Amino acid sequence: MKNQDTSDRFEELEAGRILGDLVPSEIQDWKMLSANPSNQADLSLELAAAALDAEFLTSEDTVLPEELLKKLHNGISEFVKAENEDTGLPEELLKKFHNGISESENDVIVRPTRWQGLLASSKTAWSIAALFAVLFVAKSFVEKTPADPGGLMATAPEKAASSEARKTLISKAGDLIQSEFGGTENYNQMSGTVVWSDSLQEGYMSLTNLPANDPGAKQYQLWIVDPGRDEKPVDGGVFDISTSDGTAIIPIRNPLMVTNPKAFVITLEQSGGVVVSKQEIVVALAKTS
Amino acid sequence: MVLLRVAQGDERAMEQCITKFGPLVWSIAKRHVQDHSSLEDIVQEAFTDLWKSAKRYNPAIATESTFVGLLARRRAIDFARKESRKPQLEPLPDADSLPHASIESSATLRCESEDVRAALKELPEETQQIFSLHFDEGMTHPEIVEKTGLPLGTVKTRLRRGLIDLRNKFRRLDSGQSPSNP
Repeated sequence: MKNQDTSDRFEELEAGRILGDLVPSEIQDWKMLSANPSNQADLSLELAAAALDAEFLTSEDTVLPEELLKKLHNGISEFVKAENEDTGLPEELLKKFHNGISESENDVIVRPTRWQGLLASSKTAWSIAALFAVLFVAKSFVEKTPADPGGLMATAPEKAASSEARKTLISKAGDLIQSEFGGTENYNQMSGTVVWSDSLQEGYMSLTNLPANDPGAKQYQLWIVDPGRDEKPVDGGVFDISTSDGTAIIPIRNPLMVTNPKAFVITLEQSGGVVVSKQEIVVALAKTS
Repeated sequence: MVLLRVAQGDERAMEQCITKFGPLVWSIAKRHVQDHSSLEDIVQEAFTDLWKSAKRYNPAIATESTFVGLLARRRAIDFARKESRKPQLEPLPDADSLPHASIESSATLRCESEDVRAALKELPEETQQIFSLHFDEGMTHPEIVEKTGLPLGTVKTRLRRGLIDLRNKFRRLDSGQSPSNP
């Protein structure tokens, strides 16, 4: 398919996504095409649909049920309370992360009702293992298969394209977040950085000395911790490292939008990635604030 | 602008927001969800999103009602998708941001009501008809098929391409051109 055809097809599928009418085969197509860095959707189609809704559905005749109206007004104080919560990662978590994860902590399963509530509680004796116990991924509600295009084994041209795209992002994004990765006990030789832009919904990892993986057996998976968005971390995509030498540039592939990431975490998972991580192998973490 | 005051944490502005945009949020939610209790949840979640996301609102990029509509749409469609049995690999965006003002973005679509009407009139007649059935009367695709006798594929294609065309017309309007200019 020519580039223009691919771009047109992606745009049509993106319109279908916004209208909510994609069928399963189209979802697969959308996913495959969205993995291409040149197919970057902006918000314009969604804004167009919202403008239509606003135009057609704004009516003086529509009245909210009295009971709901009361609930909404009463709920304002709750919004304010939630907004004022500290959503930073507690130091205790980071300390434990850098000290490694104990066997017993690894068994802890925590399923908080509100992710940000957990993050906000600096007094809670929770660990990095507990953090990863809540890696219910919101991304794909269907298990990935080994053939899933989400995995990324970059060829030389793709690597060059990712490197260029990363440079472009760094130069154009006015809200760029940049943070350093620190490896866990068994990965302390690795280093890396992550760059991310909320407004462009685009980011890249630059990873050095991360051991090569066998894509048929294990794959790396990125998770984005965004407490302001949801209690559930967002999947940032599955990727492969083909060689331990040199630096790999990995685009972040977040199927859900991320607005204020507090941390980026890499785990090693079964081939194809997982929906619920057992946090058995935590590789690295980059904290943004 | 009420959203700018909400962004500053003005609780009174939030009350005004609920009064002003409540009916729109409610109507959007009703388009996608039938269950009354779920409807109420979606409306409440949409306003929670609004409180959290108001600081992202940029009047240069979209009108207030478009911004609120975007948040409500996401909540409602997200819920409807989760309720359906379809595989849900497509992204289900949640409360998030409009692009910052400092970023040059192709997403800018600051169209007022009259702009929307003008752009709609520029669409082919058959697309206008399907848009009216879908966005105005709230018909589902199968309902449009039944009403018009068109194949489902045609309905979907016209809606999708129509949305893309309309977005392009909005962009031209936004840059001060006539919507029909190439």
